[in-house]
Amino acid sequence: MEHIEHLEHTESPANMKKQIWNTFFVLLVLTVVDIALYFALLSNHSIYKNILFVFLGLVKAFYIVSVFMHMKFERKFLASIIILPMLFICFLIWLALTEAGYTFDSRLF
Amino acid sequence: MSNTATLSTDNKQTWGGGKSPLSISYGKLMMWIFLLSDAFTFSSLLVAYGFVRFTFTTSLPNAIVKPFSHLSHTFTEEMQKAGMFVVERWPSPELVFNHFPFLHGIHLPLMFVSLMTFILIFSSVTMVLAVEAGHRMAKKEVEKYMIWTIIGGAAFLGCQAWEWTNLITEGASLQNNPFGPTAFAALFFIVTGFHGTHVLSGVILNIIIYINVVNGTYEKRGHYEMIEKVGLYWHFVDLVWVFVFTFFYLI
Repeated sequence: MEHIEHLEHTESPANMKKQIWNTFFVLLVLTVVDIALYFALLSNHSIYKNILFVFLGLVKAFYIVSVFMHMKFERKFLASIIILPMLFICFLIWLALTEAGYTFDSRLF
Repeated sequence: MSNTATLSTDNKQTWGGGKSPLSISYGKLMMWIFLLSDAFTFSSLLVAYGFVRFTFTTSLPNAIVKPFSHLSHTFTEEMQKAGMFVVERWPSPELVFNHFPFLHGIHLPLMFVSLMTFILIFSSVTMVLAVEAGHRMAKKEVEKYMIWTIIGGAAFLGCQAWEWTNLITEGASLQNNPFGPTAFAALFFIVTGFHGTHVLSGVILNIIIYINVVNGTYEKRGHYEMIEKVGLYWHFVDLVWVFVFTFFYLI
C-alpha cells in the first residue's frame, strides 16, 4: 500500500508559463541595461550612480522572489516573515557606511 | 455581531492547529527560514565589501590606465610617476574583468561576466519550468528541465573556475592584488567563492533530485514538492548573484 501525503500549498495561476518567460525577459533586459549604463557612466563617480545600480538590482530581486520563488502567490503573512527581517540590513548598511566615512578620513596610507 | 463571531472562528480555524496557517508545508517553510538566514550571511559579506570600498578613493582615471597595463612589472612605478598611488585607488572593474576564453589579449570588459549572468538566469528559468511541470506530474518534462538546470549550473561553475584561474595567474590572491588594494582581491575571492560553494551544493542537490525523478520517487510520493524546495534554493543562488554582480562588477 503506497502512502500518499496530503499537501497544503497555494495554487499557481493558469498562465504560469507565460509569467515565467515574461520574468526571464525582464531580467534579461535589466541586465543589458545594467551593462549599457555601466559604460555610459564610466567616468561618473557620483553616489547616485551606485544608488541607480542597487535600485536596478532590487528590481531584479523583486521579480526573482515574486515569480520564480512563487512569493507573489503565497500568503502575505509568509512574505512579511521573510521580507521584514531584511530591513535590519538597511540599518547595517547605514551603520557600516557611516563608519567607513570616518575610516576614510583617518586613512594615512 | 455575527461578523465578529465569524472572524474569531476563522482565526481559530487558521491558527487552531490541524492545518498549516500559511498554506505551506513544513519543509518549504523551513527552506524559506534557511534562505533568510543565508541572506543575512551574504548581506554581511556584501556590507563588509561596501565598508572597505568606502574607505578607498575612486579608481584610477581610465584615460591614464591602459587595458592589461597592470600585468607589467613597472605598473606601480609608472603610476607613481604620474602622481597616482595604486594601493590607494580602488580598481575599475572594466580593467580587471576584461578577459574572454579563446580571445587572449583582447580588451572585452564585462563580457564574460554578462555571459555568466545569462547562464545563471537561464538555469533559473529551466528550474522554475521543472517546478511547473512537477505540478502537472509530467515526469518526462521535469527530467528534461532538470537536466538543463544541472547543465546551466555546471557551466556557471566552469566559467567561475576559468575566471578565478585567470585572476590568480595575473597575481591576484587573498594576500596580493596587482590591480590596487589587496582587500579588493581578498573580498572578491571570499564572496564569489562563497557564492560558488552555494552553486556547487545547488548542482549536487539538483543531481540528487534528478536521480530521484528518474527513479520515480516523487511519482510514488504523489507530488513533486521536493523540486520546489530545491528550486527555492536555486533561485536564491541566482538572487545572490544579482547583488554580487552589481557590487563587484558594476560599482
